[in-house]
Formats: sequence, structure tokens, C-alpha cells
Amino acid sequence: MPIAYAHFPYLSLILLSCVAGLLIILFIPEDKKDAIKWVSAVCSGITLLISVYLFFAYDKTQGGLQFVEKYQWVPSLGISYYNGADGFGLPMLLLTGIVFFTAVLTMWELETRVKEFFALIFLLVSGVFGMFMSMDLFFIFVWFDVSLFPMYLLIAVWGSTRKEYAAMKLTLYLLAGSALVLPAIIYLVVKSGFHTFDLVALMHPGTFTPFQQKFAFILLYIGFGILAGVWPFHTWSPTGHVAAPTAVSMIHAGVLMKIGAFGVLRVGIFLCPEGWQYWAHLMALLAVIGIVYGVFVGLSQTDLKFVIGYSSVSHMGIVGLGLATVTVEGLNGAVFQMFAHGVMTALFFSSVGYIYDRTHTKSIAELGGLSRTMPVASGYLIVAALTGIGVPCLASFWAELTVFISSFKVYPLYGILAVCALVVSALFILRVVQRTCYGPEKERFAHLEDVSFKLGIPRMILVSVIVIFGLFPDVMLNMIQTASIPFISGLP
Amino acid sequence: MMSWIIFSPEFYFLLVSTAFLCLSMMRRVKPEQLYFIALVLASVGVGVCLACVRLTGDLFAGTYRVDLFSQVFKVMLSMGLFLVVCLCTELDGIEERHHPEFYFLLSVCTLAMMMLVSSVHLLTVYVALELSSYSLYTLVFLRKGRDRGIDAGLKYFLIGASASALMLFGFALLYGSIHAAYLVEILKILPNVINRPVVIVALILLLTGFFFKLAVFPFHFWAPDVYESAANQVTTYIATASKVAAIAIITRIVALTGGGSAYLVHMLVTLSIITMTIGNLAAVVQKDLKRLLAYSSVAHAGYVLIGILSMSQAGYSSAIFYALSILMMKFTCFLVLVKVADDGRNLDIEHLAGLHRRSPILAMALMMALFGLAGIPPTIGFTGKLLIFTAAMQKGYFTLVLIAMINVVISLYYYLLVVRAAYLLKPKEQLPELEVSSSIKVLAGLLIFGMVAGGILPQYIIELSRTAAMTLM
Repeated sequence: MPIAYAHFPYLSLILLSCVAGLLIILFIPEDKKDAIKWVSAVCSGITLLISVYLFFAYDKTQGGLQFVEKYQWVPSLGISYYNGADGFGLPMLLLTGIVFFTAVLTMWELETRVKEFFALIFLLVSGVFGMFMSMDLFFIFVWFDVSLFPMYLLIAVWGSTRKEYAAMKLTLYLLAGSALVLPAIIYLVVKSGFHTFDLVALMHPGTFTPFQQKFAFILLYIGFGILAGVWPFHTWSPTGHVAAPTAVSMIHAGVLMKIGAFGVLRVGIFLCPEGWQYWAHLMALLAVIGIVYGVFVGLSQTDLKFVIGYSSVSHMGIVGLGLATVTVEGLNGAVFQMFAHGVMTALFFSSVGYIYDRTHTKSIAELGGLSRTMPVASGYLIVAALTGIGVPCLASFWAELTVFISSFKVYPLYGILAVCALVVSALFILRVVQRTCYGPEKERFAHLEDVSFKLGIPRMILVSVIVIFGLFPDVMLNMIQTASIPFISGLP
Repeated sequence: MMSWIIFSPEFYFLLVSTAFLCLSMMRRVKPEQLYFIALVLASVGVGVCLACVRLTGDLFAGTYRVDLFSQVFKVMLSMGLFLVVCLCTELDGIEERHHPEFYFLLSVCTLAMMMLVSSVHLLTVYVALELSSYSLYTLVFLRKGRDRGIDAGLKYFLIGASASALMLFGFALLYGSIHAAYLVEILKILPNVINRPVVIVALILLLTGFFFKLAVFPFHFWAPDVYESAANQVTTYIATASKVAAIAIITRIVALTGGGSAYLVHMLVTLSIITMTIGNLAAVVQKDLKRLLAYSSVAHAGYVLIGILSMSQAGYSSAIFYALSILMMKFTCFLVLVKVADDGRNLDIEHLAGLHRRSPILAMALMMALFGLAGIPPTIGFTGKLLIFTAAMQKGYFTLVLIAMINVVISLYYYLLVVRAAYLLKPKEQLPELEVSSSIKVLAGLLIFGMVAGGILPQYIIELSRTAAMTLM
């Protein structure tokens, strides 16, 4: 893999602005709520700008790892501070930047315990950014955990609907995942005999025997897979999404679940390619069960957020299916789907959050006729729903198409099942949209205000990202290919 | 004359305890003055230990060894004493007339533990261990409201006395079978005879005395009762300094075997698994914060054993590192406990309700310490666990590591319950803001900083503990 060192530490700058935001917020007095929100917006805006810059500054002809920064951290253990971005990492960094910035703007109306909320969000997001850019196993694990434990307080304090139960369940599930990841990482590091946590060095072919790869891969797959919502380890995810406050749902479904899938890719697949090929069929099976299961459970939900929660399980199944094909198209589709689903679900939660804040209900039966009282808000909801069901010219369409084409080649039966499930999901999501946005206008919602321009900004950003990547999918696919083609051709 | 300089930490604490003995006879010193004197003396003690950290040498006809290993532990012990004294501003759990004795016993106990970590002869080990144990028994008895203290003190004493009897029997067997009492000589002979049944039995019996100190199964029964019944400051001392000393001596004894015996390893593996599982499962149902911390101490004893039973330099250094992390994390928990229970009462978990409003810095310190105990990065607790698990993995104990990680997840549940109490629960009646002096705030801030720094920049401590572990081999 070609490695190009950075002339300027862009990647560290992203982390730095997260940490700086966190520290500044900690020192602002609690009653200065506006100051806290502005600091959050500025710092998250900086991360967005840098991630956009990096996405376009990446040299696609050269490929490989770029913007690399590497410093010895704990030499006696072989730990280094090693950041780099490649065709897999950059879409995720961009996604995190977008979702983070829009999530902060979405929470502009928050009034309770503002300081703690934004401080925890910053802590969480610095973990997410770190995870996507780190090339050192130690740091990958540290960032992974840093992004998990703020979730407990974020859901338990600011959430709704059985929030303490959901928060505890989520934290224990995810930490159980990391309890499998850590032994697997230490196992690989010790067995390699290299005495290093450096991912690139460990990727050297022939480092691990086929048995070691199979063994470590299944641990990593389950451990990270819990976070990616792999069936049957997904049950924390819908309850968690429902209970979390809007911004946390956005970050959580939009970015955090991607960490899981990305961990499988970056650690599991990169280090144990033979293990990956060995277990690929199981991965495909679980992914398809997840897709079908998510759709059918989603059908019977009455709570708007549960519908999105289960559709997330189903959409993350598509990512899993793409990863399981062991092809270039599969990887392209999986990573693109991670990006597209992230933006789509952020838009979904942000528009549902807006509606919930006004109507104080998430029950589909109680809502109705919103398109007349809140045309703009329901407009955003409809765009998100259309993206979710894969309407052409929106980002998800290309991602899902790529995954399905590759899965038809490798697993024809699973491909057919997944496409059928998606058709059913189109049915139920459209039904939900019809019930909430159309139908008779409800008296009690008549006085509600629509989304103002200021509050609409984050939703507009998300919609435009969806449309841009729907119209120009090549921008994303060419980027991912710089990583996926060399990786697949280098497989033994 | 030069050789006596290496004895200066012990000599200093001998002077300190003599001073408190005199003060206890004068009976005219106010508690505030006593506290101040103790604070100054303890902080000078940390300085003395730090100054002597690089000294090496032998004393008392080779029965007493001063090396980096012992000196590092002496620094930790003196820090433990200093931190505990910091909490003694309101020593309400102990009657005022007993305050001089309290400080006297604390310093004697610290002195004894310092001698314990330096002892390299079976007899000095025994003498030092008993000296520290007897001071602790008495400290537990000192709790105000006699019945409680006496009940737990007796339990502590009886279990402790039987454990030390078993240990003495182990000494006798060991000496009888290999005719050596100097640890250096034992180190030479033991790897060759390690598979003789009598030697194994002797070692197991010998370790019981230390297992009692560390609260390893089956000698952990005293821990919850004693933690609950002793005065909060005494519990703090038992949970921090005395655990550090126990880790030190077990490491030293196990290092003697040279990693030769499969029986010993099997026994340690079994004990470690049972200890951490029992500790964590029992902690889940606790209502009293001190009992919960007691069971969490039991669980951590199990984790430390994993490092020790790896019987490699990496394993011993991980145990040393873990001792430091336990000292910091456990102390932080008790700092919050002592400050919230400001009249020296015991504290239920739900009494922490609303702590994040009453004192944000204490709530944050508590959260960091609990996450550290649960081994979540970036805290010193995570680094400790990483070192321990890496050492075990190098020896191929994959299953053991996996079981430990499952235990970590269980432990997270009850730590989260405490965090929940501090951050989510609303107090039943409106409670005033906690009056926390600025020095305590600074201390809490330093502890938070230290715990995070130990997670992010552990390089120096890891190097130090590696070098210290080297002296054992």
C-alpha cells in the first residue's frame, strides 16, 4: 500500500478541534447556553470543512494511505499514533463531518443541561473520527470505546421512552462487543510476533496462519458486528434509537453503527482476509436475515422512530451483504451504503425529531395531515423515506444497486430475497409517510409552526448531500475504488 | 554508614509513628492540629520515598533487600498514606480521643507494609505481615458505635489469624523441605524441586496469608463486612495501600518459583477465575457503596492474579502497573464517598442522587474512577488491563482473557448503576450543595488528570514497572 505522509496534520486537526471544543465547553459557565451552542457549531463546522477538503484533496491516481501522520507513542508496547486516510476511511470521515455538524445545528433548541450534552457529544464524536482515521490497533480500540460510553449518559439523561432501560441495554451490548474485540486484537498482535499494533505492518501477507485468521475474524466480526446491528445482535439498536434524543439518534444511527461495519472492514477483513473468505457465507446469511427481519418487524411498528430503527437494521444488513461478497463491487457498495444510509438516517431522525418536539408524539396513528400544517418538515420526512426505499437519483439507490448486482453474482438466492424485502419495505415506509403526512388534518396539530429557515439549514444540507451523491455517484465510487481494487487484487 | 541511607523511608516512618505515639500520650492536641501534623508528615514521607527510589542494597545480614521493585512500592504506599490523611479533615467515624492512635496505627501499618515489600527472608516477611495486620485489626475496631466495629474487627481478626497460621505452616514445610529461608536461596533451589508435592503444598499454604490480604477467594469473606463496618478512612486505607502491599508480596513470592510448576499455575488460574467471577456477581446486588467497592476489590484481585500467574517480566510489570491504577481509582471512589458521607456514616448507592448538581467535580471524578475500574479507555484502568491481558496472551491463556473480559462487562453493569445514581437520580428531598474545600477540588482534579494521563501517556510508568519487574527475575 503506498503511503504518503502529510505536509500538514489535517487529520490531527480534526481531532484537535473536537478536543478543543470539548475543553472550551467545559470552561464556559452553564447558563451561557448560546455561547456553548456557537462554540459547538464552529468547532463541528471546522471538522466538516477539513473532512470535505480531505475528500477532494485525496490523490486518486496515487491511491493508498494519504495524509499520514505517524509518531511513536508507547515504544515498549509497539504502539504508535498513526493516522491515515484511504478510499474506505475518507467517505466515513466526510459522513461524520456532515452528520456531526447537522446534529449540532439540529439541537439548537435544547434547553436542559446544555453544557453536559454538547461536551458528551464532542467526546463521542472525537472517538468516531479517531476510529475512522486511525491505523493503529490500540488507538482503534481506544477510539472505539471512547465513542461508546458517552452514549449511556446521552440516552439516559436526555432521552425518552424507557430511556434508562435502553441506555443500559445499549451500553452493555456494545461493551460486550468490545469484550470480544480486545482479546482478538491482543491475540493477533501477540501471534504476529512483530511486537507492534501497527495495522499496516500486521497486514503483511503470511503474518497469520489460516487458523489464526479464521479464529480472530469471527471474534472481530461478532464484536464489531454487534455495533453494526448484525442480526441476531441487533436488539439494542431499535430501543436505543427510539430512546435517544434527536441529535444522538442521528449520530448513533448515522455514524456509530458505521463504526461497527468499518471495524469489521478495517480490522477484521484487512488483517484476516482468509478468515473473511472462510466466514463470508455466514456473514451473507446473517445479513440477509437482518434485511428480511428488519423489514417485517418494521411493518408492525406503530412508533415512528421504531420504524426507522428497524429499517436501519435492514439497511445495515445491505452493508453486511456487500462485505460478504468478497468482490470489488461488493466492497464499493457496502462502503457507499454506509455513507448513504448515514446521511439518510440522519435526515430521517432529524425530521422525526422536529415533528416529535412539536407534536409530542411519535405514534403513527396519532399523527396525520402534517403536510398541510408543516409542509416543509414533512417534505424532509418524505425525502428521507424516498432515499430509504432506494428511489433513483438519490444516494442510496446507487449503493443498494451496486450491492445487489454483486450479490446476484455470488449469492443469487440471497440477492433475490434482499430485493424482495426491499420492495416490501418500500410498501411500509410509504404507508407510514401516507399516514403521517397526508390524510385528514388533525385539529390539535393545526397551530404548529413549520420548520423555520434557521432550523431548516441542517436538513437542507443533508438533503443536498443525498441529491448530489445521487446525481454524481461516480465521485464516491471512484474514491472507494482506490482502496477496494488494490485490496481485492492483493488477496491470496 | 552509607548503607543506612537506603533504610531512610522506613526510618522516617518509624520516627513518624513514634511521634504519634508520644502525641497520643499527651492528649492535649486538637484534632485539627493533629490532622495538620499528619498531613505535613505524610507529604514529607512521599518526598523521602521518592528521593530514595533509585537506591539499592541489602541490610540486616541479607534479610532485607532494597531494590527498584521495593522502592516503587514504597512510593505507592507513602502516597496511599498521604491520600488517606487528606481525607481526615472530618474524622467523624472515629471518636475524638482515639484520633492520635488512629494516625499512629496508620503510620505503623505503612511502615510494616514498607518492610513487607523489602523483606527477602521468610521471617522478616512474617514479622512485617503480622505487624501490618495487627495495626489494621485495631484500626477496624476504632469505628464509633462499638458493636459494628467489634463485630467486623473480630471477623477480620479470626480469618486473618487462621490465614497467617496456615501461612506459618507453609513456611515451616518449605524450610523443612529445602532448608532455605532466604528468598534468594529459595529462588535458586525452588525451580529444581518445584514439582515435589510437599513444595507445592508449602507454596500454596504460604500464599494463603497473602491471599487473605488481597481478598482472593476463598479468603475474601471478610472484605465486604470489614469495608462496611470500618470507618470510611480506614476502609480507604484497606482498599488502597494494603492491596498495593499484598500485590507486591504475592508478586515477589510467585516470582521465586521461576514459572516452573504447572500445578501452581493451574491453582492460580482457578483462583483468579473464581475470585473475579464471585466478586463481580456479588457486587451486582449490593446496595451499600462500600460493600460494592469491597466486592469490586475482590474482582480486581482476580484480574491482578492473571498478570502474576503469567510469570513473565511482562506479567509482573503489569501487576505493578495495576497496583498503581487500583490505588488511584479506588482512592478516587472513596474520596467521593467520604465527602458525600460527611458525618462519617455509611453510604447507600442511592444517596449519591443528585451529586452532579451538588458537586460537579466530585461526580466527574467518580465517573472517571468507575469507568477506570471497568477498564474503559482512555483511563489508567484500561492500560492496566491491556498490559495484564497482553502478558497472559503471550503465555497463551486465551480463554482466561476471554473470561476476564466477560467479567469486565458484568462489572460495567454495577459501575453504571453508581454512575446512574450520581448523574440521573433525583434526590428525595432537596439537598444543599456539598461544601467541598478548594484543596479537595484540586485533589479531585489532579486525580482525574492522573487517571487520564495514565491512560493516554503511560510510557514512563510502563518503563518504570518493567525495570522494577526485572529485579525480580
